Amino acid sequence: MNVIVLLAVILCILMVIVGGKQGVRSFISLFLNFGVLFVTIFLMTNPKNSPIILTFIACTVISCISLFYINKTNSKTITAFISTMVTIVVLLLFITFVTKKSMIQGFGEESTEEISIFSLYIGVNFVQIGASVIIMSTIGAIMDVAISIATSMHEIFYRNPSISRKKLFTSGLSIGRDILGTDTNTLFFAFFGGYLSLLIWFKDLSYSIGEIVNSKVFSAEMMTIFCAGIGIALIIPIASSVNAYYLVKTREKTE
Amino acid sequence: MQFFKNITVKQGILTTLLVFCSVISIVFVHHNEQFYDRPIAEVIKADVAESEPMTDMYDNDDYLFTQHLTAVIKNGQYKGQSIQLTNDYSSSGAFDQEYHVGNEIFVSINNQATPSVLTGSILDLKRDQTIIIIAWIFIFGLLIIGKRQGLFSIVSLVVNALILSFALDLYVEHGSLSLLLIIGVCVLLFTIISLLLISGLNTKTYAAIISTLLGTVIALIISSVVMWITGENGLRYEEMQFLTRPYRTIFMAGLFIGSLGAVMDVSITMASSIFALYEQDPTISVKALKSSGVEIGRDIMGTITSILFFAYLCGSIPMVILYLKNSSPLGLTLSLNLSLELARALAGGIGVVLTIPISQYTALFFINRKRVKA
Repeated sequence: MNVIVLLAVILCILMVIVGGKQGVRSFISLFLNFGVLFVTIFLMTNPKNSPIILTFIACTVISCISLFYINKTNSKTITAFISTMVTIVVLLLFITFVTKKSMIQGFGEESTEEISIFSLYIGVNFVQIGASVIIMSTIGAIMDVAISIATSMHEIFYRNPSISRKKLFTSGLSIGRDILGTDTNTLFFAFFGGYLSLLIWFKDLSYSIGEIVNSKVFSAEMMTIFCAGIGIALIIPIASSVNAYYLVKTREKTE
Repeated sequence: MQFFKNITVKQGILTTLLVFCSVISIVFVHHNEQFYDRPIAEVIKADVAESEPMTDMYDNDDYLFTQHLTAVIKNGQYKGQSIQLTNDYSSSGAFDQEYHVGNEIFVSINNQATPSVLTGSILDLKRDQTIIIIAWIFIFGLLIIGKRQGLFSIVSLVVNALILSFALDLYVEHGSLSLLLIIGVCVLLFTIISLLLISGLNTKTYAAIISTLLGTVIALIISSVVMWITGENGLRYEEMQFLTRPYRTIFMAGLFIGSLGAVMDVSITMASSIFALYEQDPTISVKALKSSGVEIGRDIMGTITSILFFAYLCGSIPMVILYLKNSSPLGLTLSLNLSLELARALAGGIGVVLTIPISQYTALFFINRKRVKA
């Protein structure tokens, strides 16, 4: 029996027991997301495709799956989708600039040994791939914030239909702030867990602080953490204003 | 103008202090060359001398460039002298990069007979300047948008990173201490600190702490049992990067920490929603609390597992591409590069899903106790 298969089976059973039908949908969407990720990687191996554009398309498909498939298409998921896409575009521009400037693309000196058997001149644009990695790592959290804000703001609007746009916007911000702490935490620890071997490596080989900070791997990890945080912060005002605008607009229409 | 009126004196002072710190630190990293032992040079002239197309043995087309750089040494005994460097880079840039005027790079200086013109080779880019700028954007972004919560998540990141670093120091210095034990203590501290920072000192935080610890430990036990039953069939440790220690313990420890954040997220979300329902209507029945707990759990289950999923799997993208472009078989590439990440994501997902009922019952337990007291 394969570890991965067994773990997947356990996860599936648990999701069905705890989540019922929605659990089944969540599990299927995990599979679909893996498929999208895989197809994206496969398309990225063709140097003619721009990794950034591929990432944008992949993010669109992933948000469609996670928002429209798990939560059904309604005004909540549509506003969540719009805010996710706006954030992704802004982040993509920012992160591409950052990866270019800090040259954290590709592989660091620490990986020399394992990549030595490969031909490195493979024609794909590693700077853009570096940016894709960062943005795809955070897409889950960005969608989470988007859907939470959309749901709560709709709730507030239905309870108090005469609320002003500004009040709606500020309540969106305060909901976002409550999720900010937990979501950044989720990502930080996920990254810490992944970097554990790297951190032990630095300690074992007694790198100096200067060497750690300037090394490609560590910089890349730090950039990922920072960009993830920036992304989660950025979606809060974006999602709040999209929802506030949409909800007030529909009210004006019905009047 | 309204914006400025809303700022209190305390906030004003804090903002000024932060802006001051950011400016000082950015100026510092642009002038900190003398604190480095390795020679640093700033590029003042960069010419591309040659460029040629090349095709490797797998028919991948790329361009190779050779760059002649003139740079000025910024520290050490050769400070102020100019140095001639050559840089070979490719347009794909997997392991190399083009340098531009203004870049600061670490160099090694060749010993030479004629000291008039220095030559040497390039080691790496000095990245601290960009990192510090992004770090400040991160800090300001979180503070401006998240206010108090933003501040707390930065504090929690810094404190937890320091604890981890200290714990790893202990581990590296005292080989006899077991990594899992150290990480276990870390996890305890991480949970208490992060949850206290997120939701303060109150019953719902205690409920969340208890369910987080239960959830992570049970998830860890399940994954260990699965690994034991299957004989770790399907896990490929060969490609685990940066190994200086036994890989299995490092993998398990990483799994332990990695799922913690997601489990905490579930626990605190469940605890705060159930407690909020109870506070709104203290006479609410246990059955009603249970069913709305299930409802909330269902909503968050999918999104939180996918956060973990993407955070883990995406890091392997460059390596998978490198493998595929080097004509490695698809199955081998995926199992070598994704099996550990996938196992981690699945184990984390199990933790997340298990924590939903656990946190629900813990919250109910605390509410019942409150009721008995009242």
